[in-house]
Amino acid sequence: MSLLRACVQATAACKRAPLQCVSTFGRGMANDSIPAPKKESSEIVAPEPVREVLVADAISGAPSQLRHRPVRIYQPTRNTMQSGPGKSERWRLDFDILPGGSRWENPLMGYASSADYMQGTRLSFRSKEDAIHFAEKQGWDYFVQPEATKRIPPKNYSENFVYKPHKLRIMRTK
Amino acid sequence: MLRIVSSVSRPSSTGILGKVANTGRRSLASSSARNADITLTVDGKEVTVPQGSALIQACEAAGATIPRFCYHDRLAIAGNCRMCLVEVERSPKPVASCAMPAMPGAKVFTNSPLVHEAREGVMEFLLANHPLDCPICDQGGECDLQDQSMRYGSDRSRFHEITGKRAVENKDLGPLVKTSMTRCIQCTRCVRFANEVAGVEELGTTGRGNDMQIGTYVEKTMDSELSGNIVDLCPVGALTSKPYAYNARPWELKSTESVDPLDAVGSNIRIDSRGVQVMRIQPKTNDDVNEEWISDKTRYAYDGLKFQRLTTPLVKQGDRFVAATWEDALTAIADGLAASGASSNEIQAIAGHLADTESLVALKDLANRLNSDNLILDQTNGHLPPVHGVDVRSNYLFNATIPSVEEADAILLVGTNPRHEAAVLNSRIRKSWLHTPLEIGFIGERADTTYGYEFLGADANALETFVSGKVADSAFLRKWKAAKKPLVIVGSAISEHPDAAGVYNALSKLVEQEKSRLVTPEWNGFSVLQRVASRAAAYDIGFTPSRAASQTKPKFIYLLNADEVDPKSIPSDAFVVYQGHHGDLGAQLADVCLPGSAYTEKGTTWVNTEGRAQLGRAAVSPPGASREDWKIIRALSEVVGAPLPYSDALELRDRMWEISPSLVRYDVTEKTSSGIALAGINAIRERTAGAKIGGAAFKKPITNFYQTDPISRASVTMAQCTRAFTKGENYGFSESSQTEQAAFA
Repeated sequence: MSLLRACVQATAACKRAPLQCVSTFGRGMANDSIPAPKKESSEIVAPEPVREVLVADAISGAPSQLRHRPVRIYQPTRNTMQSGPGKSERWRLDFDILPGGSRWENPLMGYASSADYMQGTRLSFRSKEDAIHFAEKQGWDYFVQPEATKRIPPKNYSENFVYKPHKLRIMRTK
Repeated sequence: MLRIVSSVSRPSSTGILGKVANTGRRSLASSSARNADITLTVDGKEVTVPQGSALIQACEAAGATIPRFCYHDRLAIAGNCRMCLVEVERSPKPVASCAMPAMPGAKVFTNSPLVHEAREGVMEFLLANHPLDCPICDQGGECDLQDQSMRYGSDRSRFHEITGKRAVENKDLGPLVKTSMTRCIQCTRCVRFANEVAGVEELGTTGRGNDMQIGTYVEKTMDSELSGNIVDLCPVGALTSKPYAYNARPWELKSTESVDPLDAVGSNIRIDSRGVQVMRIQPKTNDDVNEEWISDKTRYAYDGLKFQRLTTPLVKQGDRFVAATWEDALTAIADGLAASGASSNEIQAIAGHLADTESLVALKDLANRLNSDNLILDQTNGHLPPVHGVDVRSNYLFNATIPSVEEADAILLVGTNPRHEAAVLNSRIRKSWLHTPLEIGFIGERADTTYGYEFLGADANALETFVSGKVADSAFLRKWKAAKKPLVIVGSAISEHPDAAGVYNALSKLVEQEKSRLVTPEWNGFSVLQRVASRAAAYDIGFTPSRAASQTKPKFIYLLNADEVDPKSIPSDAFVVYQGHHGDLGAQLADVCLPGSAYTEKGTTWVNTEGRAQLGRAAVSPPGASREDWKIIRALSEVVGAPLPYSDALELRDRMWEISPSLVRYDVTEKTSSGIALAGINAIRERTAGAKIGGAAFKKPITNFYQTDPISRASVTMAQCTRAFTKGENYGFSESSQTEQAAFA
């Protein structure tokens, strides 16, 4: 990744800033570790604040393709087939699939094979902030899907028998 | 996150009672309007819920899990499974928490020995007649009975009847829902859903006690476009999905949360895939859009993704297509563009129904770079600038928003049948119609909606008469005049109609007359219901022709997912490129076909009819050599020598932000202020002043709900639905129900 690309990203990130309020795109600054060219001037320049995020990628030696693939941070919704709300409290981080044929069917048995080593990886976090922080540390592009608030009105058994002033509109066949 | 609120999502009937009391008549309700909150103790934890909540809701709010079979958040309370028993202090018996209102100061115990014993008793009775066929049952792995019996079931049976377990004949509900009625535990969720939400009153119960059965009384399929939801609702394996039967187990599936583009509602879905295949599609709960329901087309059209796919670029040689590499295909297009001699407006781009926002933006940018404004939509009269214009967003969006449909107290439907154009939205209208004294007026071709309406006429003249106020007095008219939140729902087919200008002129007059009620800072009742997923986005980015361009005869045509195009409208000497995922009509017309991705294979933005941008997600990779759509256009732009200035998805979204920030503000609807909305309406009125009305009747744009796009046309399940429901024929499965059934158990 060239320095130029990092600059493009930085401007892009600035432009994106207004949409951070709702759903967030983020791009890990993988090149933050590269020092900016020092200006020769007599003015006193305030020291840059130290960023808390050290991108793991700079030192981990992980394959660089990881960085080019967005991750998504979201709260999985309840399976509509079941009434139990299990696993919907935690925030999940997982990887978008690779474009192009990262998966194929084994012609002998029909098993699915994959060249994508991140497909089996799913990370789970207690909070959205934890997940974002982790993605930033890794230097991954991320998209945060805002949580949906479930709105259930108060329900009452007696509503089945409430008097309606107008013509009857439902035949209950229960 | 759960929030129990008092006003949204279900119109309460106490509103009516309040009104009755105001008019001086005695209220029959014994309870007052619910506004206060009450506090009670659940398992030693204090919890505050709105008055009028069921006890089970209070327990849930306190974080206690209550097992249940019949209770469902979005259906009426039945109280017949008795699984949700809890202990309440000073109550002699355990109480069913779903049918019991939460009382202030009550002390509730959900985990006491008494509760356990009671639930174990209920479970034993349920299991006594439930077949032990979990290994061959499709519900296995996501079965509520299975889950709850792990906690409350016994490991041995006391059931020793010589006659064996209860056996019930299977019902035939059509090609979508498979029944094994022996497994039924009579929770009646399906019956309540059919009654309240889907509006199918044929599904009901007969008999009582051990002989109670769920069925349609006479042999009849369940004709509803929401019928697939009863599969989700069924807590056991009595109702399962027929197309998905024995295909996969839930633990094998990888689920991806995404958005559905088969109609303009933008239902949230969960795509369950295994390997390279989409195995099923489930709804994802979102109270702002689809609640918990999706239409049958959304749910079952996925098998169309396996058939008729374009997997490799094709170049026409003579009268047949020859497979080519991407390089050759793109070069062929560049050559074709040069050979056709097309320049500026002679280059035409047509946006189809399933085109995603990213590719629309890229295609518009490419056409503009080639000096063309000839950007047209794949619909009747799509080559003309739209009559409502695209300068003001509220002129073509569903401004009232989908959840607020329930707040409307009078609805006028103009040239639309929401049941087929937005099935999930239709269920909200029905909900409101059932629970409030809502009145509905209807102008257009008569349709079988799931609610009663007053027919006001079938053409633009009827609307004109209605606006001028010369209609006979009726229940709807009285309601309309008194309505605080009136709602006009204008169908998307209106702008395709020959009388479009006249209709929009009349509508703008109506809005002007009623602007104190129709367009206020809180409420915008002028709502256009789009029916295809790409339309709102196309209008948002200005994918419309200029007046000069719409007169130009094209020499080079780029069809982006355009499969409804009239072949006669394409000049025989034009060079045609089709980009899309299915070999449907558009591909037949093309000189070069470029294989794109279907909605399950790309993570793109979809703007629904409210103007709500939602980001989909790829679940499986596209087959063969097909690529993501905007990338194809980006690649082509290099070859034709007008490269686009973005090379990855984030840069493209920055470009979308430049065009309109609402395209990348995901999951929210941006309201147009009432002043601008009225200015937009005024602009329509000025533009259409003096428009003549021909008086041709409005036609339903969707004659067959099950086959509206290349995916559903390629789907076998949708073809069976067409036979069974649209044509009313035998769809090929009924014979099996006449043959002898194997006697299990």
